[in-house]
Amino acid sequence: MQKIEAVIQPSKLDAVKEALLAIGVEGMTILEARGHGRQKGHTEFYRGREYTVDLLPKIKIETVIPDELLEKAVQAIITATRTGKIGDGKIFVTAIDEAIRIRNGERGMAAL
Amino acid sequence: MKAAFTSHQQLRDYYQAEMAAMRQSFERTGNGVMCIRRRALVVDCLLDPLWRLESGGPLPEGLALIAIGGFGRKELFPSSDVDLLYLCSDEQREDKLREGIRACNQAMWDLGLRASPMIRTLKECDRYDPDNIEFTLSLLDRRFLAGDHGLDQSLQTQILPGVALREWSSIVHRLADLARARHQKYGNTIFHLEPNIKECPGGLRDHQLAQWLSLLNYVHEQKAWPSTYGSSLSVNNEAASAFEFLSATRCFLHLRSGRDDNTLDWQAQDEAAAQSVGLETKGTSDPAYWMRTYYRHARTVYRRAILAMEALPPARQSFYRPQRRKRVPIPGTDFVVQDGRVDVSEAALLTGPEGILRVFALIAAHGYRLTQNAEERLADALPVLDVHIPEGPFLWNALREILLGPHAAHALRTMHALGILELLIPEFHGIDALVIRDSYHRYTVDEHTFLVIDNVHALRQPHLAWERRFSTLLAEIDRLDLFFLALLMHDTGKARRSGEHTVQSVELADSLLARLELDAEERDMVRRLIRNHLEMSITLRRDIFDTETIRAFAEKVASQAHLKMLCLMTYADIKAVNPDALTPWKADSLWQLYIATSNFMDRSVDQERYRADLDPTQLKRILTLAPESAQELRTFLEGFPQRYLQTRMPEQIRDHFQMALQLSDSAAQVNLRSLRHFWELTVITRDRPLLFADMAGALSSWGMNIVKAEAFSDDAGIIVDTFQFSDPFRTLELNPSEVERFRAILLDVISMKTPIEVLLRRRPAARAPIMVRVETRLDFDNTASTHSTLLQVVAQDGTGLLRQIATTLAAHDCNIEVALIDTEGEIAIDVFYLTIRGSKLDETKQEQLRADLMLAIEELRPAHAGG
Repeated sequence: MQKIEAVIQPSKLDAVKEALLAIGVEGMTILEARGHGRQKGHTEFYRGREYTVDLLPKIKIETVIPDELLEKAVQAIITATRTGKIGDGKIFVTAIDEAIRIRNGERGMAAL
Repeated sequence: MKAAFTSHQQLRDYYQAEMAAMRQSFERTGNGVMCIRRRALVVDCLLDPLWRLESGGPLPEGLALIAIGGFGRKELFPSSDVDLLYLCSDEQREDKLREGIRACNQAMWDLGLRASPMIRTLKECDRYDPDNIEFTLSLLDRRFLAGDHGLDQSLQTQILPGVALREWSSIVHRLADLARARHQKYGNTIFHLEPNIKECPGGLRDHQLAQWLSLLNYVHEQKAWPSTYGSSLSVNNEAASAFEFLSATRCFLHLRSGRDDNTLDWQAQDEAAAQSVGLETKGTSDPAYWMRTYYRHARTVYRRAILAMEALPPARQSFYRPQRRKRVPIPGTDFVVQDGRVDVSEAALLTGPEGILRVFALIAAHGYRLTQNAEERLADALPVLDVHIPEGPFLWNALREILLGPHAAHALRTMHALGILELLIPEFHGIDALVIRDSYHRYTVDEHTFLVIDNVHALRQPHLAWERRFSTLLAEIDRLDLFFLALLMHDTGKARRSGEHTVQSVELADSLLARLELDAEERDMVRRLIRNHLEMSITLRRDIFDTETIRAFAEKVASQAHLKMLCLMTYADIKAVNPDALTPWKADSLWQLYIATSNFMDRSVDQERYRADLDPTQLKRILTLAPESAQELRTFLEGFPQRYLQTRMPEQIRDHFQMALQLSDSAAQVNLRSLRHFWELTVITRDRPLLFADMAGALSSWGMNIVKAEAFSDDAGIIVDTFQFSDPFRTLELNPSEVERFRAILLDVISMKTPIEVLLRRRPAARAPIMVRVETRLDFDNTASTHSTLLQVVAQDGTGLLRQIATTLAAHDCNIEVALIDTEGEIAIDVFYLTIRGSKLDETKQEQLRADLMLAIEELRPAHAGG
C-alpha cells in the first residue's frame, strides 16, 4: 500500500478528485493548507494598506492506494494539475505498513 | 407481572422473549411510550430474582435497590443503560455488600443489560456536589424496586426534600447553566439537518430539563414533595404529544441500530418517514413532511425548556434589578417590558399590526424575549392580523426597522415561530423547516437564512483579525436595509425544487418587492444581490491569483458597491452553512478575492470603454426608452467606460442622455437629489480644463464633504460626473430654498460665470481635529491602462481635499479621463486616470506631480486630536 500526499492549487481540486475517481480511487482526505516553494508570496495594496500573503492557499490531498495503482494515480494527479507554472505543487509517496477499517476491523487491502 | 426464576438461563430467556415481543408491539403500534414503560417493567421483574440467584437470598437489611434516572421514570429505551442505585444504610454495610453488588452487576451485563450502577449511603445522598449534579438529578426520579423499604422512605421523605430545599438555587442554576452550554454546543437552534434527538435543543434532554425545573419549583414553593410519581408532573397536551413523538423516534433509532444511537441521519429519516414513526396518520412516506413534524415538536420542547429557564430568578441580585422588574409600557402598543421580556397588557385586544410590528422592532433593537403569555396572545391574534396584512411603505418601514436591529435574526425567528413572518412574507413559507440534503449544510434553509443575518450583524463587534477586515465593509454599505432584505430572501427559491434556486429566489423576491412598493433602483439592487449571491463562492474555486479569473468576476460584479455587498453576503452565507465552514483559510481567500477584484475594477476602468458596434445589446436596452433618438444616443454612449453603463440603470442613462441633449441651450445640466444619508449631484456638461477641480471646490465652498464621486467622459467630450456628499451643517435639509441657490451657484461655477476663488474665500472654518492620522500615499501605474496613467491617492479625508488634488493635477496639465472617489471613515481613496496632451505621464512628470501633490495634501491636513 502506498500513501500519496499531493499539495496542489485549490482551483485544481475538482479536477484531481474526478481524475482519481476515474481510475478507481474513491477514498481521500482533503486538507486546507498554506505554503510555497519557489513560488513567492503575493502582495496586494488596498486602501493604502499592504496585504501580503506569504504562505499561499493550497490544498493537500491524501490517499492510500494499492501498490499497483500508484503510477496511474500519480499520473492522474499530474495531468489534472500541471500548468507548467511555478506553484503547480508537489506529490510525495510513502509506503504504508497497515490499514484498518474501524467499522468492522478489516485490515490491509480490504480496508482500502 | 412477577415471574419465578430459578436460573440465569430462565432470566435470559425471559428477557429476550420480552424484548422480542416489545419490538413486535412497537413495530405494530409505533407507540414509543408504551415501549419504554414495558421495558422498564420487564427489567423491574428481573432485578430482585437476579440478586437472589447471585447472593443465595433476598436483599438484606440495610440495602435498597432503587431505580433512578430514566429507569426511575419508567422510561427505559430499548438500548438505554439501566440506572440503578444500591442504597446502603452506612459505610460498613456498603463494605460488606460490595462483593455481592459487584456480582449482581456482572450478572446484569451477562443478561444483556447495560448496567449503570451507583453505590451510595444515605448520608452521601444528602450531600450535594455542584460538579456532580447528575447524581442529584437522577435521584429526583427515584423509584423503589426491592430491599429495605425503610431506607427508601428516608430518602424520599427526608433526604431528597431536604437537599432540594436547601440547595434549590444552586441546583436550578447549575442545571440551567449546563443546559445553556449544551444548547450553545448545538448552535442554539433546533434546526439541524441530522439532529441528535436526545441532546439537541428541543430533544429529550430538554423535555426532562423542563420536568425537573417544574418539580424543583414545586418543592421550592410548596415546601413539600408532590404526590405525583417522581418528576412526572403534568404537562400540557402539546408537550405530551411532543414527548410521545420523540419517544417513538428514539425507540425506532435504538431498535434499528441495536445500540444507544440517537442521531437522526438521512437514512434514518427516510426509514422513519416510510414507517410513519410517531405520526398519528400512517402511510406518509415524505421525509420532508416527517422532519417538519419533528421540528414542530422540537420547537415545543425547546420553547418549554427556555421559558422554564427564563422564569428562574437570577443567581445574583443586581443593583438594577428593581428597575428591570418594573412593568414599563411600550408607547403606542398594547405591550409592556419587564425584566427584559415583553408581555401583553391585560386589557389588550391586539387588533392592529402597527403595535405588533413595533414590538418586533424593539425586540430586534434590544434582544427582548416574549413571555409565554405574549406568545400565546399573538398566536391567538393571527386570524385577525390575517385580515389586516400591511403592505407598501408601511410594511417596508416596519421590516426595515426589524432588519437593521442588531438582534434582527432573533426577532425574525420569533416572528417565524409564531407564524407572523409568513403572514407578512408568504414567499418565506416554502423554506419553513426545509431540509436540503447535502454533506455541508447543517441547518434547515430558514434557520440558515437567520444565521446569515446574524453573521452580518455580528460583524459590528468583530473578534478575530479576519472578522475585523470584513467588518470594515459593513460600514461602507449605503443601503443596509436593502442588503438585509436580499439576505432574507436569498434562498427562498430552494422551496421550488426545480431550476436554479438563485433564479427562483429572484422571482419570489420580485413578488415581495412589488408589495413593498420599492422603486426601480431599489428593486434592481436586491435582485442583483440575490441573483449573484453564489458568484463569489464559485469564483473561489478557481485560481484567484489569475488575472483572467479576476477579470471575469469583476465583469459580473460591475461596481464596487455591489462587490462589497457580495463579499459580505458570501462571508455570512458560508459561515451559516455549518460552524466549521468558514475556516481562516477560506476567509483569507475570500478577502484576497475581494481586494484583487476591487483593485482590478479601479484599475481597469479606463481600459474597458463602450463601443456600440462591439456591444449593441446594451444600446438596445436603453433605446427602448428613447427610440426616437437612436443615433444621438449612440454618439452619447460611445467611449464611456463600461463601468458607467454597468452601474447605471437604463432609465438613469436615458435621463443623462436627455440632459446632454439640453447642452445646446445651456452650459451644463445639473440634477440634485437627496438620498437616505447623502445628497447626490449629477453634472452633465462639456469637458474643460479645471472643471473637476471647480466642481469639487464649489461643493467645498458650501462645506459639503464629498464621500464618493465618479467622473466619466465619452469620445465626444461630454462628461457625466456624479458626486455623493454629506452636508454636515444640514444646510440644504433645513433650508429648502437654499437648494435652488446651490444649484444656481454650481451652474455659474461650471459655466465660469463665477470664479471659484470667490466662493472659496467664504468657505466655512476647518472642522474639528481628527482622531486617526492617515499617512498620505501616492501610487502611479503606467500598466493599468494602454492610454493613461493611473494615480491612486490615499490621504486624510477632509473638506477641500478633492479640490486641492484636482487643482494640483490641473496645474501639471493633467487631464482627468476618469475619476473614482471613495471614502472609508477618515481615509480618502481617490483613483485618477490621467493623460497629458493625450499621453501617459512619464517618470519625470510622475515625480514632479508626486512632490507637489504631497505638499498640497499636507497643507490641508487638520490638527490631530493628540497634538
